[in-house]
Amino acid sequence: MKLFLPLRFVIRASLALFASVLPGAAAELNLFGWSEYVPQTVIDGFTRESGIKVNFETYSSNEELISKLVAGVGRYDLVQPSDYAAELMIRQKLLAPLDRSKLGNLKNLSPDFVGRPPDPEGKFTVPYMSGTVGIVVNTDKVKVPVTSYRDVFQARFKNRIVVLNDNREIVTWALLSLGLPMNSITAENLKRARPVIAEWVKLVKVFDSDSPKTALLNGDVDLGVVWSGEAAILWNQNKKFQYVIPAEGTHQFIDMLAIPATAKNKNGAHQFMNYILRPEVSKLISAAFPYTNPNAAARQLLSAGELANPASYPKGGQFETFRDIGKMASDIDRLVTDLKSSK
Amino acid sequence: MTTATAPTAGDRRTPGWREWLLLAPMLAWLVTFVVVPSAILFVYSFCERDELGRVVFDFTGENYRRVFDPIYLRIFARSIGYAALTTGICIVAGFPVAYFIGRAKAAWRDRLLLLVMVPFWTSFLIRTYAWITILKQEGLLNALLRSLPLGIGPWDLLYTPTAVLIGLVYAYLPFMILPIYGSVEKLDGSLIEAAHDLGAGPLRVFSSVILPLTLPGIAAGTLLVFVPAIAMFAITDLMGGARVPLIGNVIQNQFLQARDWPFGAALGVVFMALFAVTYWALLRLGRRDEVLA
Repeated sequence: MKLFLPLRFVIRASLALFASVLPGAAAELNLFGWSEYVPQTVIDGFTRESGIKVNFETYSSNEELISKLVAGVGRYDLVQPSDYAAELMIRQKLLAPLDRSKLGNLKNLSPDFVGRPPDPEGKFTVPYMSGTVGIVVNTDKVKVPVTSYRDVFQARFKNRIVVLNDNREIVTWALLSLGLPMNSITAENLKRARPVIAEWVKLVKVFDSDSPKTALLNGDVDLGVVWSGEAAILWNQNKKFQYVIPAEGTHQFIDMLAIPATAKNKNGAHQFMNYILRPEVSKLISAAFPYTNPNAAARQLLSAGELANPASYPKGGQFETFRDIGKMASDIDRLVTDLKSSK
Repeated sequence: MTTATAPTAGDRRTPGWREWLLLAPMLAWLVTFVVVPSAILFVYSFCERDELGRVVFDFTGENYRRVFDPIYLRIFARSIGYAALTTGICIVAGFPVAYFIGRAKAAWRDRLLLLVMVPFWTSFLIRTYAWITILKQEGLLNALLRSLPLGIGPWDLLYTPTAVLIGLVYAYLPFMILPIYGSVEKLDGSLIEAAHDLGAGPLRVFSSVILPLTLPGIAAGTLLVFVPAIAMFAITDLMGGARVPLIGNVIQNQFLQARDWPFGAALGVVFMALFAVTYWALLRLGRRDEVLA
């Protein structure tokens, strides 16, 4: 949970400091990953087999990952950036090149997820899971078809909407609904998106990136724009929750495993990557967090029901991924903060 | 916030090494946890940042210019409003409780005080989630309203400003009750009896005797509630649905989302200055009261 991270961060930092002065500590792997993304069973399985103890710390946004990676050099052996964060990290030389000879299970990956930007040669990253952002509708409450961002953000749905509490996401949806490219964040485009976002934020009841499904399950809202994995869990619980890829388009996110350049246990990190790439392990990840699995061999082990989940495996092929936008992140933050507080 | 008490007239002796030695742990604590972090914050607030959000030591006043942008001034004002309302409700709700406990039989007092503290045994976050269970659309409160033949409800409470206020008052009420209790306990009962004997009605006794004598407790409680309530960000995210940002949310965002530590630091420094001024004003007000009394 992100709110307690600062505290846990401090505790972990002091523990790490303490551990580093103890000679001959047992083999350990410091994994820094997304919250609600790596099942404990997988971590335990890895420890049982390899004897490497995994210290698992979580974050809830790529920006948080970058901030802490830069602040705490050498503390992490394995991180889990999304596409655009990996791009920035590669460019800033924060990642160590992979030794592909230690990653025999790379062959299991689907060709759809190999050779994509930002790492076309797969020198630094291994895809972990993937997903989209789309519309989820409680069809018991909403009887009209909702297929686009414009359909979601209508006056009739005021105070019935949940969206991700992620400023770049919100800006991206507005750009797409205007027919603008999502990766060219310019002052000009932000100016055009501004009135659209201003209208939208007035209609939203909940902004939540950690667990947007909660407000939908609790009946506090009836529709929303959320991570596909969250929508897949909702669909598994009740088929009334339908997932729709917005007509104006969306982006795909590919979350990667990567090794920081300053990692101490690079060998263990490779072992963990190769372990995750095993079909029978990757299958466990899909079962717990039903995002899109990039592992073709693992997909063959999934049940027909899992593969039929429209949120996990939406129709419509590939979508563009986010690219790094540098300091514009701050302009986006300012824009959305302004609009949220001026209603 | 820490302050040294003003030296009194009879206390002119210069401290020797023993006194300094005794003071050393506290001074070390102050330097490590107050002076150094504040200094870092102050320096950062004049810096720039690179693409990764790392602080670059190039001097600039830009961050402060941005703090006084109307966007952030509005958010400051709103945060102060929420904190003031929270403090007001805490005083009104907390005073009777504190008074009742303070006047209860000694045997009961400790048990009642314990009840005020029991919530602290559970994580703050878990208690906030408990409130979500109560207030949500299909939650406990609305279930109760439905089962009663009153014809009211269901109420749409969660993710509204009301929910934020409920969360803030709930979180900080004990910090108001405890200092007021401290004042009430010291209140001399014979003064109240005397006031009654001299013909004062209950209202008059309250306004002329009880209130002035418990004012120090109320003032301490106000400080303990108002200051942290301004900066709270967890409750606005969880119970308010992160719809309306308060200053705590904005600062948190600068450090985690926007990767703009210098601007976050500038907001923090202005924030501290604001507290220092408020505290100084309260202190002066207190002194003048003492002189008048």
